[in-house]
Amino acid sequence: MDPGTLGLLLQGLTHVTPQSAVMMTVAMVLLYLGIAKNYEPLLLLPIGAGCLLANLPLSPLIAEDGMLRVLYDMGIRNELFPLLIFIGIGALTDFGPLLENPRLVLLGAAGQFGIFLTLLLALLLGFSRPEAASIGIIGAIDGPTSIYVSGLLAPHLLGPITVAAYSYMSLVPIILPPIMKWLTTPQERRIRMPYSQRVISRRTRILFPIVVTVVVGTLVPFATPLIGMLMLGNLMKESGAVERLTKASAQEIANTVTLFLGLAIGSTMVGSEFLKPSTLAILVLGIVAFAVDGIAGVLFAKLLNRLSGGKVNPLIGAAGISAFPMAARVVQKVAQDEDFENFLLMHAMGANAAGQVASVVAGGVLLALMGAG
Amino acid sequence: MRRYTLGIAGREFVIDVQEIDADRFEVEVGDQRYEVTLAGDEDVPEATVTPALAPPQGSQAPSRPAAAAPTRTRAAPAGSAAPAAAPARAAARGGAWALNAPMPGVILELYVKAGDSVTRGQQIAVLDAMKMHNFIGAPRAGTISEVCVAAGQAVGHGDPIVRFAES
Repeated sequence: MDPGTLGLLLQGLTHVTPQSAVMMTVAMVLLYLGIAKNYEPLLLLPIGAGCLLANLPLSPLIAEDGMLRVLYDMGIRNELFPLLIFIGIGALTDFGPLLENPRLVLLGAAGQFGIFLTLLLALLLGFSRPEAASIGIIGAIDGPTSIYVSGLLAPHLLGPITVAAYSYMSLVPIILPPIMKWLTTPQERRIRMPYSQRVISRRTRILFPIVVTVVVGTLVPFATPLIGMLMLGNLMKESGAVERLTKASAQEIANTVTLFLGLAIGSTMVGSEFLKPSTLAILVLGIVAFAVDGIAGVLFAKLLNRLSGGKVNPLIGAAGISAFPMAARVVQKVAQDEDFENFLLMHAMGANAAGQVASVVAGGVLLALMGAG
Repeated sequence: MRRYTLGIAGREFVIDVQEIDADRFEVEVGDQRYEVTLAGDEDVPEATVTPALAPPQGSQAPSRPAAAAPTRTRAAPAGSAAPAAAPARAAARGGAWALNAPMPGVILELYVKAGDSVTRGQQIAVLDAMKMHNFIGAPRAGTISEVCVAAGQAVGHGDPIVRFAES
């Protein structure tokens, strides 16, 4: 056998680079977090697998017409996948608790404060404006919104931003409680909020997604794709007229797209793009965005508590950050740790649903500020 | 909501009590609606109700302490003042002797059966609400007299989950 043939047969081995080896290790960490630690496994497992497959030497999967490249072109570059996922999220979101207590909208707005602070920090660290906005959007604490905005403004940062957004989202139960406990007194955490039993009519529930789409779409045109798909899913759910489509959006389509999205995002994490100091900066800024969102939400709820004469439990502010529905569950858990007879879940869910809408609006505002389309 | 149908001195009163808050109730007697605040909720095992405590007649109504403030300005007809005061106690009974669902959901697990004695804070049930498994603990120590729901059953806000024996 001559050396040329041997070289062809062993070209896989000879093309292993230190960078690709590091990225394969990163992929293993993501797989470990998803499988062993159960951190957002639905996303971290496909992202880890996509990362591993893309970093294997000479990977045909990211070559021209390779499967991962095709998936990326099909749904990430043109923003199709995050929007499809939004239909499913809308079909799963119950805006009832928010409609019962509309003033919770304010908490959703407060929970987006981290976006703008992080944006400023990123600018100070020397990121360009579109990059800084993409990093800030991690503070929306909503995966598809982060992917959508960074995909438009800074596609080269998509990998680290998505990984940061989803990893931290899975850490909401760990990141939020210390912030909530630090900013509130046990007395405040024990404030009970009676469950209001207002019946929301079917007409209101059906009109809500339509009105929100028209109002938000008119005020923030850049948010139209996101809010439109979110509310389309919700309209299908609340109307009850298209149960099959609702089920397909919330399950089959969302599951399929989640797999494609994860693999395609993972495939963007190749050594030369990912192994940069900027990735580390993004990971740090991302957690700052999360923390600031939580702090702003709780502080704003404390203000509402003052204004309402002690009727608002400041903990529910933490649910305004989005991360639906995990943040609301964390609020319920922290409240119940203090007083097992206190049930804030419904109020927290209202603030949480408000945060979901506010995240989308904030994403649209960022895009408008950056003049992207 | 809880509905009490009481026979008082031969007359029947239907009293609907809606818990708004731990100490606030909306009480509907006939076509009258009152907002009632619960000032005290005591357990008086030794005291017995004697015939002397027969419901007061209409002439005594104005002198009764205003436990219930009518939300409507229309004067209460004579004789309805007594039932209006009663629901406050009745509501207290409902609140104190039953563990009610704090929000709508589905009972996933029940850890007690009738006759069990429990301590305050002991887990009674798991309530699945908004896809979250919620810990439902006993609001008081005592003996369970009745389990009102089965595992897998959907409950509305305020539906009783278990009742406690009154001693």
